[in-house]
Amino acid sequence: MSSRREFLKQISAAGLVAGTVPLTVTSAFAQGKRVPFPGEDGMVLRSFRFIDLESPVEYFNTWLTPVPHFFVRNHMHEPSEIDAATWQLSIGGKVDKPLTLDLAALAKMETHSVVNTVECAGNGRGLFRPQAAGIQWGKGAVGTARFSGPRLRDVLQRAGIKPTGKHVMSRGNDDIPGKVPPFIRSIPIEKALDADTLIATHMNGAPLTKHHGFPARVLVPGWVGSASCKWLAEIKVLDAEFVGNFMNPGYRLPNQPVKPGEAVKPEDTHPVTALGVKSVISGPGDGTTVKTGRVSVHGAAWAGEANIVKVDISIDGGGNWIPAKLGHEQSHYAWRMWSYEWKAVKPGNYTLQSRATDSQGRTQPATPVWNPSGYLYNAVDEVKVHVA
Amino acid sequence: MWRDRVNKSQQFLMRVAISFAAVACIVFLGSFEARSFGAGGEKAMPSYAAELPAGPMQAKATTTCTECHEARILLQQRLSKAAWTKEVDKMTKWGALVDPADREALIDYLSSNFSPDKPPYEPQRTAVGSRKSAK
Repeated sequence: MSSRREFLKQISAAGLVAGTVPLTVTSAFAQGKRVPFPGEDGMVLRSFRFIDLESPVEYFNTWLTPVPHFFVRNHMHEPSEIDAATWQLSIGGKVDKPLTLDLAALAKMETHSVVNTVECAGNGRGLFRPQAAGIQWGKGAVGTARFSGPRLRDVLQRAGIKPTGKHVMSRGNDDIPGKVPPFIRSIPIEKALDADTLIATHMNGAPLTKHHGFPARVLVPGWVGSASCKWLAEIKVLDAEFVGNFMNPGYRLPNQPVKPGEAVKPEDTHPVTALGVKSVISGPGDGTTVKTGRVSVHGAAWAGEANIVKVDISIDGGGNWIPAKLGHEQSHYAWRMWSYEWKAVKPGNYTLQSRATDSQGRTQPATPVWNPSGYLYNAVDEVKVHVA
Repeated sequence: MWRDRVNKSQQFLMRVAISFAAVACIVFLGSFEARSFGAGGEKAMPSYAAELPAGPMQAKATTTCTECHEARILLQQRLSKAAWTKEVDKMTKWGALVDPADREALIDYLSSNFSPDKPPYEPQRTAVGSRKSAK
């Protein structure tokens, strides 16, 4: 485990390296509207405060997403002070022996790593019609990283879960403005005790950055990102689902399909948990022109707790489907890269589509499954390409 | 476009940065990194916040809404008047200071500027190379 000092040393070293490449910075400024945001390269700026950054889809060409390209979703202000030396995590509620752990204590525990595709529940919200209120994410509020840290169950078992313990809530150190309810959510005890649910301190082999929850976050693999509380401060075992804004009315889906724009009664909803099946075309880009010849159509596909079985590609707007080649890198909760070599012989306009199918037999729908809060958009992906 | 406008001091800062990129880069990064893990957090970052569009409620909406979050969160919405009403009432419950006499005018301002028939918001991108990319 890195100490705060070591961490700051890494950070300042990174700053000095950046200082040696002023030409890159100059060209970025020359592009006019680019906003300086150290450590976050070429991201789509959804909001500066709170910080909400989206990955452009063309970044989805590596199995692991580099941290500077990994989407950031904050509901509140980031904690103003984070001192790894004094940071503490409290574990309480329905446990025999409430605990307090510091970073050194976490570092002494057995470390486990999970490569997980984290996706914001609202990824694709901006593509729904009618639009739902909230960050209008395009396709890039998703990324894949190797998260490492002790298992949540090891920490919970050290405290001893009482038989009445059925849900586990996590609270972060977010700086809450006004009378906004705190960003607290809970997960069922079964998911909390899963061998792959972590208290992550590292991401892609380095300590978590501040935007990703330094010094520790929960990592609930296969589930919507909001389950994975950042800047972790408290874990509490509860006898029932946590009662609060971000469990209800927030983060809920209708029990039955609804027509776009239709109102849904609160009692006809349930919490959003695992991710759906989904694919995204990362290239060629939407609206681009490619030359006749071989064109690499490629992207990523993921399915939450399920595995991707196949990705089919259409170059004629959904008339015919051809299987794409799946990448060799795979892990239970991680996306699969896929590619298809398209022989673009005839000039003209084409609609390319990708459609993933998973091990639970789920396939991406042709049209979005609308819901009032704009969650889990997973319609067949599509880009328009001109062949010249 | 109004939504791409930055205020004069920000434009000046950008010009300085272009002129003295090498020096500015080191100084800027140094100060940002030092602060981002110390007091102030993201609130201490140099502000590149966007502005709300002109109109009779611009000043009041700016004071009320950007106390907690910046204007881009509003600029990207495309909502009906009913949906804006819900949002304004939710935010008021969450601590936004809306004079009851201004509620209707605020809802009108938001729902006329950010209605579903408006063209989509074009977000900016962050600069590349502000720090060496870590794989």
